[in-house]
Amino acid sequence: MFEARREKIFVFGITIVLILFSIIALVPLLSVIATSFSSKSAVDMNLVTLWPKQFTLDSWGYIIDRPDLWKSFFLTLVTTLIGTALALLMTALLAYPLSKPEFRWGSVIMIGVVVAMIFKAPIVPYFLTVRAIGLYDNPLVLIIPHILNPFNLIIMRTFFKQFSKELEEAAFLEGCGYFRMLFQMVLPLSKAVLATLALFYGVVLWNQFQHPLFFLQNPDWFPLQIKIRQFITDDNVILAGVTSMIDQNYNERTLRAATVIFAIVPIIMVYPFLQKYFVKGAMIGSVKG
Amino acid sequence: MKAFANLRLKVYWPLYVMAIPGIAFLIVFKYIPLAGAVIAFKDYSVFKGILDSPWVGLKHFETLMQHPDFARVFGNTLMLGFLKLALVFPVPVLLALMINEIRKTALKKGIQTALYIPHFLSWVIVSGIVFDFFSLNGLFNIVLGWLGNEPLLAMQESGYFRPIYVLSSIWRDAGWGTVVYIAAISAIDPQLYESAMMDGASKFRQMRHITFPLLLPTVLVLFLLEIGNFLDLGFDQVYNLITPMTYSVGDILDTYVFRTGIQQAQYSFATAVGLFQSIIGLVMVYIFNRMSKKVSDGGLW
Repeated sequence: MFEARREKIFVFGITIVLILFSIIALVPLLSVIATSFSSKSAVDMNLVTLWPKQFTLDSWGYIIDRPDLWKSFFLTLVTTLIGTALALLMTALLAYPLSKPEFRWGSVIMIGVVVAMIFKAPIVPYFLTVRAIGLYDNPLVLIIPHILNPFNLIIMRTFFKQFSKELEEAAFLEGCGYFRMLFQMVLPLSKAVLATLALFYGVVLWNQFQHPLFFLQNPDWFPLQIKIRQFITDDNVILAGVTSMIDQNYNERTLRAATVIFAIVPIIMVYPFLQKYFVKGAMIGSVKG
Repeated sequence: MKAFANLRLKVYWPLYVMAIPGIAFLIVFKYIPLAGAVIAFKDYSVFKGILDSPWVGLKHFETLMQHPDFARVFGNTLMLGFLKLALVFPVPVLLALMINEIRKTALKKGIQTALYIPHFLSWVIVSGIVFDFFSLNGLFNIVLGWLGNEPLLAMQESGYFRPIYVLSSIWRDAGWGTVVYIAAISAIDPQLYESAMMDGASKFRQMRHITFPLLLPTVLVLFLLEIGNFLDLGFDQVYNLITPMTYSVGDILDTYVFRTGIQQAQYSFATAVGLFQSIIGLVMVYIFNRMSKKVSDGGLW
């Protein structure tokens, strides 16, 4: 009896600690959300903690009315969607042959992939190479460098290796070639790994900061993260168009809070749909890779 | 034999065609830049190109060693790298051990979701959240006020940069880091726990004597990989969290390479800095791999 009670206390204690950690993980987010919906005066009087005070949509109204923010938003949305689709295609096209024992170059290429994953080139020769192929100040730099990731490639290859040989051999005897096999049999059965990798690639594309910072000069092509960074760090950018602050219900801080949440919303919206897949997918990769 | 080769080609050619785009990508975006690292030993000029630029041996490495900036930047990088290994790396291991003890599926899912979410936010966003948290009227200063303290602008104090770096790393990535460990734990043979329970071992003793030792090889492998990236602190994170007032402690090799290499176009010099960084990483992995082989059988190779 005594033992069982001690067990319960042990598990209960751990549960409490973990719930506390979960709350800590969410508190900074909640605080920013609360700030974005609160009035300037409530924020200035230190009233806002985790819940909006003097609720107002004025900060959001101002942010939603910024055409430059929407421009970056749609640019990033388009590059993320195209980039993710291209990345899945590129990854599948290399992962499939690599999962086939009859593919003679397989083991050599696999070593090449692992070497590419472990040895990172110094950033300057990387910069010079990408510039040399014409991606400097070119919006394609938001897509092309991200369409193949060695780690994701290994995850997909591991997944493809589990397919039963018999099924493919049967299809093969009926005259089904490798391309049809990949696109009509293997990929439709790989939704779990495709969803996982779509999330991984999509998040990298959506969140990218270093590539646009290094390669893009023309403000027309600034993606969302660069724009958000300007909004957060530069009062002149976030307040562009505000004539007088006195009769406004917002200030720099509430506007910044709204900007930050604005950029998170799409991620939070996609997350629940993909969550059930990605943990499994990440496990495939981590156990084998 | 030739007929056989022809047959092979006839059947297998699609596999080779499929592989071409991916191989081309790896060559252009991974291997050419790797080979391009030779400009660390040359005086690279844009007009002459990589091949025709003159060799200068270790000149750039010598400059770098004598540069007062470099010593400061290297020191900052070592310090943050050490803090990250000592304080950030163990957190996911402990979290995974704890999450494993929770049996209620819904609760477990909820906790994992809450802990995973920050990982999907960019460092621009995380820094926006951190700056808001530590601002004059932010949550941090409101709580300080409740405790009767004067407001403190932590983002502008050099003494707070390192704690903020460590805490923001934990906040964003510790939850996600548990995924690998939870996968490794789920691969442990349930019979071990069953027989331990027969012998009357408590949950805590099962954790200490079964789960933890069987998790150690995974921890070791990840530790070695982490050591290899010891000086790789994450450009996005530091670049977005740094302020002019915290430059003295926050300027690291990554930001230094960006400034000298990309912004000031000292290509060869910045490549030497980058190469130096990679070599230190390799040496560290080598040393720790040998050490781990001595203490246990595990290791990367």
